[in-house]
Amino acid sequence: MSKFSHPRWSILKRELSSLSKEKTIILALAIQLVIAGFSSFLVVGLTALYDPASAGGDELTVGIAGETQDQLLAVAMNRDDIEPRPYVNEAAAMDAFERGEVDAVVTGTVLTDEAQTVQLDVVVPAEDLRTTLIVTTLREYLTAVETIERQERAQELSFTPIELPEDTGEGSPYFGFTYTILIPLLLFLPPFISGSIAVDSMTEELERGTLELLRVAPLSVVDVVDGKALGMIGIAPLQALLWMGLLRVNGIGISNGGALTVVVTAIATLTVVIGLLLALLTRQRRQAQLLYSIVVLLLFGLAVALPEHPASTVAKLAIDSATVGTFAHVALLFGVAVAGYLFLRRYATGVNPERL
Amino acid sequence: MKLAKILRIARWEVTKNAGGVDRRTLGVVVVALLLLLAVVPIVAFSGVGLDDNLYRVGVSEESEFAPVVAEDETFAVIEGATVDDLESERIDLYVEGNQVHRVQSDKGAAAYEELRDSVAAYNERNLRQEPNQSAAFPVEVIVSFEEQTGTSVVVGAPGGEEPLPDADQDEGEAESPVDDTDDGPPMDEDGDESPVDEEDVPDEESADDPSEEEPDDTGEETRTDETDDDTATGDADDEQEAADDPESDEDHDPADDPATADREDGDELTGPLADFLGPLSDDGMSGSPADITPPFPFQSLVLAFLFVLPLNFVIQAYGSTILSERINRRGELLLVTPVSRTEIIAGKTLPYLLGAMALQSLLAVGAVWLLRGEIGGFVSILALIPLVLLFLGSTFLGAMFARSFKELTFVTVTITVSLTSYAFIPAIFSDIDPIALISPLTLVVRDLQTESIALSEFLFSAGPPTLVALVFFSLGAGLYREEDMFDQRSMSGKVLDSLAGPISSKWHVGLVTMMLIPFVMVTQLVAVATFFALGELAILLLFIVVAVTEELAKTLHVYAAYEHNRFERTAGSAIVLGAISGTAFFLIEIAILVFQLLGFTELEIGEALLLFSGVITGPSELLLLIPPLLLHIITAVIGTLGAYRSKGAYIVAVSLAMLVHLVYNLSVVMLFV
Repeated sequence: MSKFSHPRWSILKRELSSLSKEKTIILALAIQLVIAGFSSFLVVGLTALYDPASAGGDELTVGIAGETQDQLLAVAMNRDDIEPRPYVNEAAAMDAFERGEVDAVVTGTVLTDEAQTVQLDVVVPAEDLRTTLIVTTLREYLTAVETIERQERAQELSFTPIELPEDTGEGSPYFGFTYTILIPLLLFLPPFISGSIAVDSMTEELERGTLELLRVAPLSVVDVVDGKALGMIGIAPLQALLWMGLLRVNGIGISNGGALTVVVTAIATLTVVIGLLLALLTRQRRQAQLLYSIVVLLLFGLAVALPEHPASTVAKLAIDSATVGTFAHVALLFGVAVAGYLFLRRYATGVNPERL
Repeated sequence: MKLAKILRIARWEVTKNAGGVDRRTLGVVVVALLLLLAVVPIVAFSGVGLDDNLYRVGVSEESEFAPVVAEDETFAVIEGATVDDLESERIDLYVEGNQVHRVQSDKGAAAYEELRDSVAAYNERNLRQEPNQSAAFPVEVIVSFEEQTGTSVVVGAPGGEEPLPDADQDEGEAESPVDDTDDGPPMDEDGDESPVDEEDVPDEESADDPSEEEPDDTGEETRTDETDDDTATGDADDEQEAADDPESDEDHDPADDPATADREDGDELTGPLADFLGPLSDDGMSGSPADITPPFPFQSLVLAFLFVLPLNFVIQAYGSTILSERINRRGELLLVTPVSRTEIIAGKTLPYLLGAMALQSLLAVGAVWLLRGEIGGFVSILALIPLVLLFLGSTFLGAMFARSFKELTFVTVTITVSLTSYAFIPAIFSDIDPIALISPLTLVVRDLQTESIALSEFLFSAGPPTLVALVFFSLGAGLYREEDMFDQRSMSGKVLDSLAGPISSKWHVGLVTMMLIPFVMVTQLVAVATFFALGELAILLLFIVVAVTEELAKTLHVYAAYEHNRFERTAGSAIVLGAISGTAFFLIEIAILVFQLLGFTELEIGEALLLFSGVITGPSELLLLIPPLLLHIITAVIGTLGAYRSKGAYIVAVSLAMLVHLVYNLSVVMLFV
C-alpha cells in the first residue's frame, strides 16, 4: 500500500478537480489580478496626486505680491519647480490668476504682533485635479520660506532645527506602499479565499447530504476533513508563489521567498481550520460564511496585539529588513497553525457522523 | 404582486434565519461584530504602523540625525553597523554627522526620502515644544480656493474679484518687482486696531486692500460689511479653526470668537469627530506650511469604506439564502404554491434590503452626527438605496448562476471587488470632477460635506445603478424557474435563458434592448473612469468598449430568442427584429441625450460619451440624427442575420457589426473633432 493510497488523498484530488472543473480557481486569480490592478491604480494615482515630480509635472507659475515679496522671490528663485512672477499688489496678481496666467498667488504680509509673524495668503484654483499638485508644490516652497524666517528668529529658539538632507528626487514614494500594503494584500488574499472555499466545500456536502455517501466508503470524518483541508491549504502558497513571480517580473524585488511561503501556508492553515470548524459547527453555509468573514477579520485586527503584525512580518520579509524577531514571528505563526490543525483533527474525531 | 404574500415570505425568511438554533449564530455574529467595531478604530488610529522597522539604519553616535532615527518607528537602528555595511546591504542608510549615505538601490532611495520626511516631522515636533511659538512658526499660511474662470468659491468678496482699474497698469510693470509698501501700512493699521483678526478675516483684508485705498480707507467698517455678506469665508475660517492644532488654537485671543460667532450658519464641523477629520472639503486651510495638506478627501474614502464594507456581509447571507433554495430542490415547494416568482423574490429580498438600509441609515446619520453634531444625512440615505439595490441585485443574479457554494463565493468576491471599486473610486474624486457623480457614494460624500446636490445630479447619480439593479433582478427572475434552478445548466445556456425569459413577442425584443441600456451605460461610464487617465489611447479603448457593449446589447437577446425558438428562423424575421432592436436602442440614446442637454451641459465627459455613441448634435438638427439611427439599425440587422442561423454565424456577424460600429464612430470623430 503506497503512501498516497490513503482515502484522504482521493478526497483531496476530488476537491482540487472540482475546483478546476468549475473554473472558479481561474476566477479567483482574475479577482486577485483586479485587486492588484486596482491597488496599483490607486498607488500610481495617489502618488501622482501627492508628488508632482512623479507625474512629471511642469514648473508652477506663481504670482507673488505683498510686503515680503522680496524674500518670497528670493526663495522661489532657488527652486526649480517654481517660476515666480512679481506683481505690484495682490489685486494685480489675482487678475493674472483669473486670466490663467499664473497657477497660484502668494501674498506676504508682516503682521504687527510682537513676533512679526509673516502671513502668507495663498490662492489656488478650486475644483481641479491640478489643485492637489499645486498645493503640494507650494507646501514645499512655503516650508522653505518658513525655514528662512525661522532662522532669522533663531536666537529666540532653544531648539535648532536639523537641516533637511538634500532632495535627490530619486526615492519612489510608492516603494513603501508596495511592500507594506500591496504585497501583504496579495499574499493574504489566497489564504482568505482558501478558508472561504473550505467553508463552502464542507457546508455543501452537509446541506446536500452527500457526506452520507462518503460515509458509505471506508472513511472517517477526520479523513474527509484532512482531504478537504490539505487541498485548500495547498493552493494558497501556490498562488502566493505566482504573485511573487509576477511581482519580480515587474521589477519589484521580493526577498525571503521561502519564509514568505511558510507564512502564507501557516495563515492558510489557520483560515481553513477556522472555516472547517465553523462549517462543522453551524452546518449551514449562510451562518458559517458570515461567521468566517467576521472571525477572520477580527483575528486579523486582534493580531495588532502581537509585537509585529503578520502584515508587517510579510512586509519586512519581502523588503529584506527581517530581524530575528521577524523570523520568530514566522515560527510562531507556524506553531499556531500546527496547533490549530491538530485541534481541528481532534474536534473532527469527536464529531458524531450520524448527527451531521 | 400581493403585499401580504410578500410580507409572509419575508417573515419566513427572517424567522428561519434568526429562529431556533440560529439564535446562537446570531449572538456570535453580534458579539464578533461589536468586537470588530472596537478593534477597527484601534487598528486604524493607534498608529500601529505596518511600516515599523521597514528600513535599517546604521548610526554613528555624533550624527545629528541620531535622535530622528531613534524616534521614528519606520527605522530600525542596527547597532554597531558601519559605513561598510552599506556595501553588503545589511543596512539601507548610514548617518554620520550631517551626512547621509545610502545604498544605491530603490530601497535605499526610498529610505532616504523617508528620512527627509522624518527629519521634517522631528523638527516640527520639537518646535511645537518651544515656549515662543510665534518664533518657532513664524509663517502663517492661509490657503483659499478660487475658480480661475472668475466665480469665487470661498473668498467671495466681490471687490476682490472684479478686475480693478489699476490692475492692467500693474500688469505692465509686473516684471519688475515693485515693492508695494503702499499696501502695507493700511493693513498694519488694521492689525493695530484689532490684533485678533489675524486669523479671522485675512482673505477679505488683503484681497480688498487696493479697493480700500481707492474709495475709503476705513478698514474697520468695510471689513464688517464684507464679513456679513460673505458667509462662505466665515465657514472656511470656522472649519480652519476646527481643524487647527490645539497649540495654534491657544494662540488666538478668545476675543475673536464673537466675531466668528455671528457668521456661523451650521455648515462648519462641530461634532466630536470634527477635530480628527479636519475640513472635509477644500474650503480653505490655514496654519504653518507643514499643516497645509492637498485637498484630497481621504476622509471621504474612509467614509465610503464605512458604507461599502457592511454590504459585503449582507450579500454573503443573501447569496447563501438564494442558493440554498436551489439545493435539494428546496425552492420547489414555494414554486408550486400559488405565489408568483416575483412575489417570492421580493419577499426573500425585502428583509435584506430593509436590514441593509437600516444599517446604512444608521451609519449615515451617525456620520453626520459625529461630524456636525446634528441630525441629518437624509440625502445620503436616499443615495444609498441604489447602492444597496445594486449589491443585492447582482448577488441575486450571481446566486441564480452559481452551480455550487464554492462558485457563489467567487461570484460574491467578484461582486464585492467590482462594486466596491465602482462605488468608491469616483468618490475619491468627488470634490474634483463631475464624473465622480457616476457613483452614488459621491452624493453621500457631498451630503456629508453639506454641499448642495441638484435634483438632476441626484438622478444622474442614482438612476443608472437603480436601473441596473432592477435589470439584474429581472434577469435573475428569468432564471427563477424549475429548469434553471435545479438543473446543472451551463453558464452560457443560463445567460441565454435569462435573456430569452422576457421575450414572447417581437416588440419585447425592443424592450429588452432598452432594458440592457443601463448595462451599456454603466460599462461605458466605468470604462471612462478607468481609462480617463490614459489620454489619447483612452479614446480608442473607449470606442472599442462602446462598439462591443452596444452591439451585444442589441443582438444577444435576439440570438437567445432564436435559440429558444421564440421566432421563426428566417431572414425576414431577423431583419424585422434587428430593426426593432436598433430603433429601440436609438430612441433611448436620444432620450438620454435630451436629458443630458437639459441638465448636464457642464458634464463634458458625458457629452463625449454621447459623441462616442454616434450622436453628434442637439435635437434641433433632426437630419443629423438619421446617420446614427441607420447605424444602429444596420449593425443590429447584421447581428440578427447571423443570430437566426447558428452560434458560429452569430459570432461572426456580431464581430462584423462591432467593427462597422467602431469604424463609423472613428470616422465621425475624425470628421468633426
